[in-house]
Amino acid sequence: MENAIVMKNVCKDFKVLNRHEGLKGSIRDLFSRDYKTVSAVKDVSLEIAKGEIIGYLGPNGAGKSTTIKMMTGVLEPTSGEILVNGVVPYKERTKNSENIGVVFGQRSQLWWSLPLIESFKLLRDIYMVDKKDYEDMIELYRSLVDIEPILHKPVRQMSLGQRTLSDILAAFLHNPAIVFLDEPTIGLDVSMKDKIRSLIRGLNSEKNTTVILTTHDMGDVDALCKRIVIIDKGSKIYDNDIEHLKSYFGNYRTLKMRLSDDNWVEEVIDESKQDIMKIIMERQKEQKIKDLKLEEISTEEVIKKIYEGASK
Amino acid sequence: MSTNTVSRKRGLSFYARIYKKILIQDLKSKMSYRADFIISTIGMIMTNLSGFVTFLILFRNFPSINGWDYHHMLFLYGFSLVALTPVQCFFDNNWNLRFQVQSGDFIKYCFRPINVFFYFMSEVFDVKGLGQLAFGVGTLVYAWYHIGMEVTVLRICLLILFLITASLFMIAIMNFAAATCFWIVGSGYVMVIMFRFKDFAKYPASIFSGIFKVIFTFIIPIAFVAYYPSLAVLDPCEAPVLSWCAPLLGILFFWLSYKFWMLGVRKYDFTGS
Repeated sequence: MENAIVMKNVCKDFKVLNRHEGLKGSIRDLFSRDYKTVSAVKDVSLEIAKGEIIGYLGPNGAGKSTTIKMMTGVLEPTSGEILVNGVVPYKERTKNSENIGVVFGQRSQLWWSLPLIESFKLLRDIYMVDKKDYEDMIELYRSLVDIEPILHKPVRQMSLGQRTLSDILAAFLHNPAIVFLDEPTIGLDVSMKDKIRSLIRGLNSEKNTTVILTTHDMGDVDALCKRIVIIDKGSKIYDNDIEHLKSYFGNYRTLKMRLSDDNWVEEVIDESKQDIMKIIMERQKEQKIKDLKLEEISTEEVIKKIYEGASK
Repeated sequence: MSTNTVSRKRGLSFYARIYKKILIQDLKSKMSYRADFIISTIGMIMTNLSGFVTFLILFRNFPSINGWDYHHMLFLYGFSLVALTPVQCFFDNNWNLRFQVQSGDFIKYCFRPINVFFYFMSEVFDVKGLGQLAFGVGTLVYAWYHIGMEVTVLRICLLILFLITASLFMIAIMNFAAATCFWIVGSGYVMVIMFRFKDFAKYPASIFSGIFKVIFTFIIPIAFVAYYPSLAVLDPCEAPVLSWCAPLLGILFFWLSYKFWMLGVRKYDFTGS
């Protein structure tokens, strides 16, 4: 299996000026060479196969977008190697960008005042897409989503959901080998989220496009990703299947109880430390339990545990 | 699946074609906002009229400035208006640069396989500049007629060459001013000050003395936005050396400003803000 992305021991440091307080301090800052080095990404190695959808997760400020910027050729790594479709992104930014698509959450990359179809035509020219490939792609879009209502609408008049949809379609238009999606479903309603997810799944399976998805929405992860990579404070702390993730915290269960006041109470239980029966019995001494459910821990809970564990 | 292994060449004709398409689409959408279009056109006419009236009042009181009579001054005035049109029409997005850099939206320009400077500037075409162009051309023709210069092919060619030269200087000044936002937060002032300086372009640089003349010639080359280039057209035989150097200096200065702008992009990348 060929790899779409290979990262070897990649580090990225930023130099940050030590700022001083007050007016005197800011004047001093003007001439100061007093920098400290902040490591945004530390020794990350990663291989992503063609056609994979990867969930790239981590708490805010973990180094996710720094990694994405390095993969897209916007940032140069301080050390280590990156190959994207066999190209060193930073050295050949233009060549690299022909083969990738990028969607950055709520920042539209389309021409604000143009109808979507005109943006598509411009992108077709910019990426020099063959006429036939372009028409096939539009045909594929038609089969996956109802694009008619937005095709002739200027981007500035679109709702957030329509705009996100348009941005995703635009990112896939030149049939790139890799598409980076940064928080594609942020701020969208449930049905729109669902639409976007099935569109991404459809495009991935039709075109075998590699998708790197960064998100805080575990619904996206559950719906799309087989494999997830988690980084925290710049280091990779998890890289495996999503199923394995659950067994990572396999001893955890969510116990749901409906009490006499008809409210459901939830508790996450570590079975290796606590006895479920004991907890139920103790509860029952206080209140009557009307109903019981024992569930697998949700992805969201697991991720929360990992983030919390890592930041300790 | 067609993975592009060969990087295709994007030359001048490619960029010209893309620009034309963006321009046509942009104009179409601007026309559809009719009220906006009409109001901005009226605004443009008013701005030009008030500038012109100021000029007339000034000349009621001073029949000549430093040996420049009314019609020569008018020529300089029209020349500067035409020379300022390209920066207004094609490079107006420079005014938005600092907002996009500060908000982080600028990063979107780094993901396409085309020149970042071109991509950024192509996004905005300011129609208002066209009113200024018409006004400027009118003034130029009127002044030319009253000065009584001969209309020869050579003179017309000189005029066009030196108008281009003058606009290159103004574009470069604004590029430099705008690109400061990659390093400093208060770059808005730099742009406003530079844009104010353009008003000096309307007057012969010979009225400035000593230090100001040096500044406006070599540091902030406002004198090249109308004065030196127009001398070459008005009086080719008597024009100073600086006038004749202007086209080359203009290209050099523009190229430097482009490099400075792109250096800013690199620097922006590094901080990754």
